Amino acid sequence: MSDEAILDGVAEVARAHLGWEDELTPEMRLVEDLRLDSIRLLTLAAEVENRFRVRLDELDEGSIETVGDLVAVVRRKLGGTE
Amino acid sequence: MIINDWLAAAGQHPEGGLRFVDRSEAATWLGWGEVRERALAVCGGLLSLGVRKGDRVALVFPTGIEFFEGFFGALLAGAVPVPLYPPVRLGRMNEYLRRTARMLERSGARLVLADSRVRRILGEAVAQARPDLGCRTIGDLPGSAVAPVPVEPSDLAVIQFSSGTTVDPKPVALSHRAIAAQVEILSGFWPETSGLRHSCVSWLPLYHDMGLIGCVFPALARDVTLTLLGPELFVARPALWLRALSRYRGTISPAPNFAYSLCVTRVSEQEMEGVDLSIWRTALTGAEPVAPSVLRAFRDRFARWGFRPEALTPVYGLSEAALAVTFSDLDRPFRGRRFDREALARDRAALEAPAGREIVSVGRPVPGFRLRIVDETERDLPEGQVGRVWAQGPSLMDGYLGDPEATVRALRGGWLDTGDLGFLHEGELYLTGRAKEVIILRGRNYAPEEIELAVEEIPGVRAGCAVAVSWLPEDAPGEVLALFVESSREATASEIEALPEACREAVLGATNLSPDQVIVLAPGTLPRTSSGKLRRGETLRLHLAGELTPPAPVTPLRLAGAMARSSQAYARMRWDRREE
Repeated sequence: MSDEAILDGVAEVARAHLGWEDELTPEMRLVEDLRLDSIRLLTLAAEVENRFRVRLDELDEGSIETVGDLVAVVRRKLGGTE
Repeated sequence: MIINDWLAAAGQHPEGGLRFVDRSEAATWLGWGEVRERALAVCGGLLSLGVRKGDRVALVFPTGIEFFEGFFGALLAGAVPVPLYPPVRLGRMNEYLRRTARMLERSGARLVLADSRVRRILGEAVAQARPDLGCRTIGDLPGSAVAPVPVEPSDLAVIQFSSGTTVDPKPVALSHRAIAAQVEILSGFWPETSGLRHSCVSWLPLYHDMGLIGCVFPALARDVTLTLLGPELFVARPALWLRALSRYRGTISPAPNFAYSLCVTRVSEQEMEGVDLSIWRTALTGAEPVAPSVLRAFRDRFARWGFRPEALTPVYGLSEAALAVTFSDLDRPFRGRRFDREALARDRAALEAPAGREIVSVGRPVPGFRLRIVDETERDLPEGQVGRVWAQGPSLMDGYLGDPEATVRALRGGWLDTGDLGFLHEGELYLTGRAKEVIILRGRNYAPEEIELAVEEIPGVRAGCAVAVSWLPEDAPGEVLALFVESSREATASEIEALPEACREAVLGATNLSPDQVIVLAPGTLPRTSSGKLRRGETLRLHLAGELTPPAPVTPLRLAGAMARSSQAYARMRWDRREE
C-alpha cells in the first residue's frame, strides 16, 4: 500500500473517530497539531489498528509523534518499503 | 491480617483466580494457587538478587499476569511494590520518561521490574533514577526457591502515587494493616448471601487505588475470580467492558465518571447484541466528581440491556485512605439534590433550592470511618456548611514516603485532611470542589504547576501569572480545565489576540491536556495571598461567582470557548460561559 493510501486511511479514521475535519498532512504532530490527549491517542492507535489490521508495536518503533511517523509504522507493519 | 496471608490461603476454591480478557475477547484464566506459585519463584529471584525487607520494587507492566508475579513476588520477599504506569500509546515519550524517573526517585526504588518491551523504553528514566539493582524483566531474575520473608501488619505493603505529576508526585505509603482494614470494609458491602457469589470485572489500571485495592485484593481475600481488561482496551472499545460484565456475570464493577460517559457516546447497538447487564448489582462511580447528567444518560441508554438504575452507586475515596471513605446506599437509585448556587459560591452554605445546582450525594462514611467538615481555622462546621472534608478511619496511610512535611499537612492528629470541599446534608456527604490544588481529569491527577509552567514562556504572558483549575460544572459530563493567564503590560494587541491559542498549544505539548477554557485577564487581576502567592481556589470561586472581571478598558476579557475543538469531545458544556 502506498503512503498516500495509508495517509488517506488514517485521515478516514481521524474523521470518523476523532472528528478531525481538516486536511491531514504527514508533518502534523499528533499532540500539538491534532490536539490529541492521552485518551484520543489511544483511540487513534486502536482505530488505525482496526482499519489496517495491523498491530502497532510503538514501543519497538520509538516515539510516534507525527502523522508521518504513524504512516511509516503502518507501512512497515504491512510489509511495504519506502 | 496481611496481604501475604490471603495469598497463602487462596487457591482453595476452584473458581478463584484471575481472568485476563484480550482484545479479541479471548480469556486466559489462572487460579490463585498458580499465581502464588509464580510469585514464589519471583520472590526467590528477588531475594537472591539482594532485595531486602522493606526495599521498594517498582513495577511497570500493562495489565497481565507478569504484573501479579512481580507484585506478589515482591510482597512475599518482604519488599514493597510500587506500581507505576506503563508508557502511553503514540505521542511523545520524553514527558512519560521524566515523570517515571521522578516517581522512581521519590519512591526510592532499588529495583525496577518491567516487561521486555517497556524495559527498552525505560532506559532513560532508569538511568536518571539509578535504582541500584537496575531494571529487569521477570525472566531475568535468578531462579531459586526461597521461603517467603515474614512481614508484620505494621509493615509497609504498597506505595501508590496520589498525583501522577512531574512537579510533585506524592508516594502514599500504606501498611498491610491499612489495606486489610480497607478490604474488610469493602467486603462487608457484599456479603455472600442468598446464593449470589459476587464477582468483579475491572478495566481499571493496576497502579490505581480503585483497580488494585478495590478490585484485586477483595477478590484475593475472598478467593474468587477477578476479570480484568487492560485500560487501553476499554478506551479503544468501551463495549468490551460491558460485554465482559455480561459474559462473566460480573456483579460488581467500579469506574470513574468519564468511563460511563464514554460508554454512552462510543458503544454501538451492534456491540450490545446479546449483552445482559441485569447481573450487574453495583456500578460504583468514584475517583473523580460524579456528574448526574452522565449517570442519567448511562442509566437510560443501557436500561434496554437490563441495566438496573439502582446499580449506580456514587462513592468517595482517595489513595491516602487506601480507598473508600464514603459509600452511598447500595441498591438505591443515586440521589442528587439541588442547592442554591449563590449561597454555595458566596456564603459556603448549602440551601436546597428547586432551580439550584444539582450535586450527587456520595453517601455516608463507610464502617469504621468518621467525617468532619472544618473551616480554615479547623473548627467543626455544622451540617449544611461547606468546608474541608476530614476523615478518620482504620485504613489511613502511614504518610507520604520520605516527605514528612507533606505528611504533617495531610495527617492532622489522626485525621486525614482530604483537601476536598463539601458539606453534610441529612448525614450524607456532598462534594463541592477542592481546597487542595490538584487537577483531576479522567481519574488522573495533575499538579496545576505543570500546566501553569507550560505557558510561562509565551510572549504576552505575564511571568508567574497563570492559574490552572479544574472543576465539575453543572450539566457537564466531566471535569473542565480552565487556565487563567494575565497578559503582560508590554503585550501587544496581536500577542493578546493569539494568547488563548498559544496557551492551549503549549499546555497540550507539555501535559497532553487540552484546556477547555483559556481566560486572558489584565495584569494584576488574579487573587493573591499577602505573600504574593496565587490563590487558585479563590480564582475559581471568583470566576464562578462572576466576580473575576478585568479592570476594563485596558485589556478586554477574552474567553476562548474551544469546546468544539478541545480534547474533551465528550463534553457538552452549557454552563457558565461568559463571552464578550
